[in-house]
Amino acid sequence: MKRVWWEQIKAVIRLEMKKTFFAKRGIWIYVVALLPVLLFIAYAIAASTQQHGRANLAGKSERPLTYQDLQAVKPGMTAEEVVTLLGKPPLRFQWKEDRHVEPEKATENDSEGEQKPEQEKTVEVQHEDYHYSDGQNDLFVGLENGKVVGIHLQEGNNLGQDTIMFAGVFQFFFLRLAIFFGCLGIFMNLFRGEILDRSLHFYFLAPIRREVVMAGKFLAGLLATCTIFATSEVLQTVAFLWHFSPSARDLYLYQDHGLEHAAIYLGVTVLACIGYGAFFLVAGMLFKNPILPAAAILIWEGINPFLPGILKQFSVIYYLKSLCPVDIPAEPGTPPLLALLISNSDPVSAPVAVLGVLAVALVALYASSLQVRRMEINYTTE
Amino acid sequence: MSDRIVFEDVSKFYGEILGVNRVNLSIPPGITSLVGPNGSGKTTLMNLMTGLVKPSRGRIEVLGYRTDDSENLFKILGYSTQFDAFPKGLTGFQFIYSYLRLAGRDRESAEQLAWRVIERVNLVDAAKRNVAGYSKGMRQRIRLAQALAHDPKVLVLDEPLNGLDPLARAEMIALFRATAAQGCYVIISSHILHEVDVISDQVILLSNGYVVAEGKIATVRGEIQEHPTQILVRCSHPRELAAKMLENELTIEVSIHKDERGLLLKTRDADRFYLALNELALNGIEIELIAPADDDVLSVYEYLIGNEEAVR
Repeated sequence: MKRVWWEQIKAVIRLEMKKTFFAKRGIWIYVVALLPVLLFIAYAIAASTQQHGRANLAGKSERPLTYQDLQAVKPGMTAEEVVTLLGKPPLRFQWKEDRHVEPEKATENDSEGEQKPEQEKTVEVQHEDYHYSDGQNDLFVGLENGKVVGIHLQEGNNLGQDTIMFAGVFQFFFLRLAIFFGCLGIFMNLFRGEILDRSLHFYFLAPIRREVVMAGKFLAGLLATCTIFATSEVLQTVAFLWHFSPSARDLYLYQDHGLEHAAIYLGVTVLACIGYGAFFLVAGMLFKNPILPAAAILIWEGINPFLPGILKQFSVIYYLKSLCPVDIPAEPGTPPLLALLISNSDPVSAPVAVLGVLAVALVALYASSLQVRRMEINYTTE
Repeated sequence: MSDRIVFEDVSKFYGEILGVNRVNLSIPPGITSLVGPNGSGKTTLMNLMTGLVKPSRGRIEVLGYRTDDSENLFKILGYSTQFDAFPKGLTGFQFIYSYLRLAGRDRESAEQLAWRVIERVNLVDAAKRNVAGYSKGMRQRIRLAQALAHDPKVLVLDEPLNGLDPLARAEMIALFRATAAQGCYVIISSHILHEVDVISDQVILLSNGYVVAEGKIATVRGEIQEHPTQILVRCSHPRELAAKMLENELTIEVSIHKDERGLLLKTRDADRFYLALNELALNGIEIELIAPADDDVLSVYEYLIGNEEAVR
């Protein structure tokens, strides 16, 4: 590449950055990028509050309890047995219930052939709820007339479960919607926005190859989307881990591949910006109305799991899904179509996935370079 | 390298709408004016020349460069368009500076050239203000500065005098002349015919997408056979001269000038007519001045296109 081209690309990037980052019509992109961060902050606050309550309850127990202690309670035990096992409950509710019971079967009066009226009967049931905690998990024990009839062991925050939740938010909201629409907003405006503002001729009147203008604009868009969405991704990770204890965080980050996962999510974010960015750059040159290509690409990406193998390859999400570090298991009983959407039935290896996204992006950029050479400045028809 | 701006059988259609049709031109250095009513194809011709639109048919070359070779074309060409929009948030200086950086100039030379051209168009005081706050005339001048910033050999200016006050117009006209005097090609489109007349070396007259005439104004005028040439003769005894001229077969029409100090004569053969006038002068009639009265752009425009669109 000629040195002057690189200087020109830098000049285009400088001109575009301010417009891209501070455009009024792009404020919603920040909102979309921040939504998952807010979600994880809200989740962290709720989890912290719950955790604080559990610690409080555990402190009020007669003796420190373990998870095994909580699991030892079985249905049919008496209240005394429960108290012997776990101590006096730190939180106890009780109430009485007048329960209607099945009336006795009517008996026939043999001598007169008459039936006696049914006997209406109620019995008084003594209810008790015991609430124990080992500081991490909650145990709710329901008793009727001094016998255990219901047990609910609510496990506290579990990093394993939470990583699946994080993966779900990343794959189904952040990747498929936030980055998708964010790239649409930024990359489609690189040319379309200038045509609407009637200022594109400024670039086309300079001694610069149009492909170089296109490359500069693409890199500016990429820099903007990567900055916005990578920052969001980092903040999401921080918010997601915030409410865990430092030891649990360290364990997750350094021994349970947490750091590696965070890096992969960042990499996938950047690749998504490259792939979708290239798609929307060419779409911005070809279409006046962004809704049509956006809907077409969204549908194409959405139906990807149902497409034949050869067609799957012309999609960004096909490769990105394979790169995501955590698989989302489909719950038993999930409808087959939804299960197919959730699961990654046809994964490709990481190098193939990276090269696949880059190849798809290169094809789209090549189409953009052809289109930019054909572009005419004719604002009156826009 | 060719030394002309060449259009070979160029047509441009916007869908079914005609922009220009079958244009053949060879534009030499100097100031060339594109003249024609609204919608005649002036801006289309300029956009074709600068590659902003592509011809539907034909070939265009600017001093040997193809118009789709923007990298090389705009090294020698500057275009001040009629599009009154600028990249958002830029000051006048930043607008020119950014353009020069896009052109591949380094920071120092871009800054130097930007200030030089801003000074040339007399916008130094406003250079640090946002272009969005400029008056129409200032925006016109900053666009002109952009076109001039890299010292192009070919300067294409679409209605460059629009919105300028009389003083600024005079300054700009002087600037165009100076540029043309350096051997540059200055292509101007304008509605203001008396200004075109003053500054142009040659004109291209357009009507409904067709070139109806091109060349030096006097030559174009000479080619319009259906309108006899008008000649103004200043003399001491106009009525006496009028009587003598009516005897001459070359004279078609004679009228006494309203100030009674001359005649307006019409003839179909100007060259022979001038010779006849010379003979009369030798025969004792004192003639102060003989001058063509209708070889200006305005007359040519009126004869070829009609006067409804002309701005005097």
